[in-house]
Amino acid sequence: MGAVGRIGSETTAATKAFLRRRTAVFFTFFFPAIIILIFGALVQTQPTGGGLFTEPAGYYVPGYLAVVVLFTPLSRVGSEVARHREGNRFEKLATTPLSRAEWLLAQTLVNVGIIGAAAVLILVLVVLVTGAASSLVPSPLLLPFVALGVALFCGLGAVLGRVADSQDGVVAAANGIALPLLFLSETFVPPDLLPAWFAPLRYLSPLTYFARGIREATYRPPGQLASFTPNANVFEASGPLLELAVLAGLTVLFFLAGAYAIPTTD
Amino acid sequence: MVILAEDVRRRYGGTAALDGVSLAVNEGEVFALVGPNGAGKTTLVRALTGTTVVDGEVSVLGEAPDEVDPERVGLLPQEFDPAERLTARELVAYYAGLYETARDPDAVLADVGLEGADTRKPYEDLSGGQKRRTCVATALVNDPDVLFLDEPTTGIDPAGRRTLWSLLSDLADGGTTVLLTTHYMEEAETLADRVGLLADGQLVAVGAPGDLVASHGGDSRLELDIPADAEGAAATALEMAGYQLLPDETALAVTGIDPREIGAVVETLEDERIPYGAITWKQPDLEDVYLSLTGTEVTAGGEPVPRRRGRMSAQGGGS
Repeated sequence: MGAVGRIGSETTAATKAFLRRRTAVFFTFFFPAIIILIFGALVQTQPTGGGLFTEPAGYYVPGYLAVVVLFTPLSRVGSEVARHREGNRFEKLATTPLSRAEWLLAQTLVNVGIIGAAAVLILVLVVLVTGAASSLVPSPLLLPFVALGVALFCGLGAVLGRVADSQDGVVAAANGIALPLLFLSETFVPPDLLPAWFAPLRYLSPLTYFARGIREATYRPPGQLASFTPNANVFEASGPLLELAVLAGLTVLFFLAGAYAIPTTD
Repeated sequence: MVILAEDVRRRYGGTAALDGVSLAVNEGEVFALVGPNGAGKTTLVRALTGTTVVDGEVSVLGEAPDEVDPERVGLLPQEFDPAERLTARELVAYYAGLYETARDPDAVLADVGLEGADTRKPYEDLSGGQKRRTCVATALVNDPDVLFLDEPTTGIDPAGRRTLWSLLSDLADGGTTVLLTTHYMEEAETLADRVGLLADGQLVAVGAPGDLVASHGGDSRLELDIPADAEGAAATALEMAGYQLLPDETALAVTGIDPREIGAVVETLEDERIPYGAITWKQPDLEDVYLSLTGTEVTAGGEPVPRRRGRMSAQGGGS
């Protein structure tokens, strides 16, 4: 059976366990939806400029996606690690052929599936509610950006699960980390609204590369869309591919750190 | 030797969880580690399964615990709490999926006494005993050569316990080496080929249950439930009649007699018009061995209770 079988078994069990937590499933989809409805439909872009939403609706797609790519893996994987520790599940897994990296990969696959579905919902809502279609172009790069972003924050979630002493601790730590990242990584707040001294700091956030890359792949300011072709976006623009490469490198580092953080002893 | 530990030590802060433990377990043997909560049983299981770091030498199947082929080892950790939203069958199938070769989950569940609709119930909806049986099944599903079970029958009803004892005996007969921990003395006495008594991180005795009882269990005795105000008179009367009293018991107890002499003891009390309640014939068992060697009793919940001084001693004697 090998590694594929082990990862398949872990993925199947983790998927079933998650889908049967109906409240968790509901809020996984409800949270980004309510953010879009509040920010996209109630706050809206200020017609006179200024305020929170100064850019066309399509500019904020990376921000909406970041809500699920950031929060869900951090809290889900972190809580799962805490649950496994509290139930002595890692103690048992340490005596099975399943490795720590395989366990984390399985959890990542579950999150990619769930967050992928949530991302589709987000894109549909953004187009329907905010009218972002006029500043968006379709791009196949969305898929690797979302998958890598999820994997990266699954790794960070595993580290949080190791460091925090309980599920409550994981949720508090996840929120404490995710909230500043969400607003300071070129997601909802354009860089020129931030102080100059802060500009270099945003490169420390992996979410910056996620947001930039998706924006470069999918967003075209009004007036540029008509002359733009999707193929050129994907294969000719070096911007999103560069951001994708940086994100991929960071994902490898965070994933390895997460796998290493998963406890095998008491 | 399938399991070997030599001078194993582990400290948590200032407390010695294991203090120089050495043991060896043979192939096909059922070895029970007995002791109250906090004696070091779980730490020793963790040392043997490589899930804690210890000083000293440990090997399983001739390898260091973290290098042994996991296909050959089964573990039920203490207070194991698997994914509660999965059914019993899904849980066992999940663990089966982690191994190259595994048994049919339904067959394993049937072995531990779970069949039919119960196997399709979510784990969280099972009774405590059914949960523990499911957990035991997860340790058996890869048909291991070495099986570590940390308090496998906690929460299981007496009939269920006997089902598991029978299953484990059969596995040992088939060559599986079983190391289990328990605070149920009866379980160790019934199931184990050999027993290791742990107290405060030290292995105070190792041997076959019968040998340990013969060596350290003391004599059989007749325990007499006498009202406190009549205890002194009862002791005097019995000693005058030539009976030997155990001096350090929580109840008045006569030792050194044959069960056929119980009637004569009762006659002695009645002749002196000494009231009495229950009269209990007590054969020595592992509980007596543990008490004798450690001065501690183990409650049904596994809590250690220091031996109380006897009534007679507390009253300044009466004999």
